[in-house]
Amino acid sequence: MKALSLYQDRGTVVHRVDSRSKLLYILSAILIPAVLPGFMPGLAMLALSILILATGKVFGKVLPLVGFSLLILASIVLIQGLFYSGNKQLLFSLWRFGFYREGLLFSGGICLRVMNILCAVSILVLTTRPSDLIESLVRLGLSPHLGYVLSSVLQIIPQMTATMETITDAQRSRGMETEGTLLVRMKAFLPLIGPVVMNSLVSTRERSLALEVRAFSARSKKTFLNPPQGGTANTVIPLVLLLAMAAAIVWRVMQ
Amino acid sequence: MNKIEIRKLRFHYSAGEEILSDISLDFDARSTAIIGQNGAGKTTFVKLLKGLLQPVSGDVLIDGINTRDMTVAGLARHVGLVFQNPNDQIFKNKVLDEVMFGPSNIGQSPDEARASALAALQMVGLADKQAENPYDLSLSERKLISIASIVAMHTDIIIFDEPTIAQDHAGKERIKAIIRELAKQGKLVLTIIHDMDFVAETFERTLVFAEGKVLLDGPTREVYGLPGILKQSHLEPPHITQLYNRIGCQGAVLTVEEFIAARRAGTGRPPVSA
Ligand SMILES: Nc1ncnc2c1ncn2[C@@H]1O[C@H](COP(=O)(O)OP(=O)(O)OP(=O)(O)O)[C@@H](O)[C@H]1O
Ligand SMILES: [Mg+2]
Repeated sequence: MKALSLYQDRGTVVHRVDSRSKLLYILSAILIPAVLPGFMPGLAMLALSILILATGKVFGKVLPLVGFSLLILASIVLIQGLFYSGNKQLLFSLWRFGFYREGLLFSGGICLRVMNILCAVSILVLTTRPSDLIESLVRLGLSPHLGYVLSSVLQIIPQMTATMETITDAQRSRGMETEGTLLVRMKAFLPLIGPVVMNSLVSTRERSLALEVRAFSARSKKTFLNPPQGGTANTVIPLVLLLAMAAAIVWRVMQ
Repeated sequence: MNKIEIRKLRFHYSAGEEILSDISLDFDARSTAIIGQNGAGKTTFVKLLKGLLQPVSGDVLIDGINTRDMTVAGLARHVGLVFQNPNDQIFKNKVLDEVMFGPSNIGQSPDEARASALAALQMVGLADKQAENPYDLSLSERKLISIASIVAMHTDIIIFDEPTIAQDHAGKERIKAIIRELAKQGKLVLTIIHDMDFVAETFERTLVFAEGKVLLDGPTREVYGLPGILKQSHLEPPHITQLYNRIGCQGAVLTVEEFIAARRAGTGRPPVSA
């Protein structure tokens, strides 16, 4: 079943790293640049993220996301550069508007942080199967029921779109116009809502029956479908990340 | 005139994974079975005939109209398709409304549509269920309702995608009778089906699909007379034909009656072994 996800199945080393390490990486990518002063740590982290994305062969998939957020970030740079409350030192003027150093630096910091978070989260989202992510969250102590709800949410939208498509096919197969002007489309769309909701209710019930039949809410200890991802990498990476974060905090406190 | 003409038809869902490659054929009014392994592309093929999918290249002409030049809804007057899965087709809360939906859409008046729907329900033996909710019925009944809702449209071409799904013997006999009746009215009946015995007893012409191509095309008797090629596409002749051949007789009998007649007449006597 197709799920609502950005996961790219490229089978690289990055894909084999378990989701716990990637979650920790997101935390580090946010924490380390925030704790350490200056632009350098943030830039270094960003470079590292881009390197990882490139190794995972998913760098191309990040670009549209980056492009989209650049639109918003550009407006932040514009506004802060012009109107930041600490603005003192005029850097340059465009037409009648003056851009100030402080505002530009401030908004530059924001942009860097956003890019960092975006890239770090992309590593997780683009190279981890959603079901694997949920499984490892459950392994870390998330309730299996909540895990199930999460994975259902990821599935329900594509499922509804699919139902919508099949029902539309059934209707136009029997002579109902569904292509054409907006009015025609609206007329075709309204009668769809009933059966789509009906169908998803029916399938939800069926699925919960199917889950119960397979002892979903049994109280005994359960075995996970996949063995925990072992290997040295999956012990070393979290360790290194934790140490790096600890080091950054200690350094900051010592200052 | 041929009811359907297919010229150099090619189709794939995603580039590089060809599902149908270079198919050219015609359909006249002979009832025709389409057989082939799971995933051979049969459902895809009929969706192309119905206009639900558009060819990647090549053309499909329905009663002389290119499917590229008409909306699916417009084609609905010419071709009816009973979906493989009735749940993909049924969306009304009342059986009668479901069956009247098609006829009303293609220009039958409410009275005509009601009459067609009731006649079609009668034909599939579910006239007494007309006021029920289709979701409350069994799979076999829903399949029959999906058949009735297409039959009620009186299209010149009717396509069934696995009509015998979930049917018991009585249900299969009923569907067989419906197909014969429609063929007798001069309609083209195209049917995708995995039940070889059913094919042998019901259809004049048979197409074998394998790996995106039409491997065999001819009168059903000829197709079943070529067990070698059938085997190549992982199919077997009907049981009665296999039995006939296994006792050493040559040729293809298609029904139990033919088998008995052949044996009585002595034409099908096994060659005397030395
Ligand atoms: N919507 C789709 N998108 C992508 N691939 C599809 C889609 N529908 C079918 N396919 C693929 O196309 C191929 C042919 O499928 P199709 O449903 O036409 O086979 P079929 O002959 O009807 O099989 P069956 O006997 O199981 O009904 C299969 O490999 C299938 O996985
Ligand atoms: Mg099929």
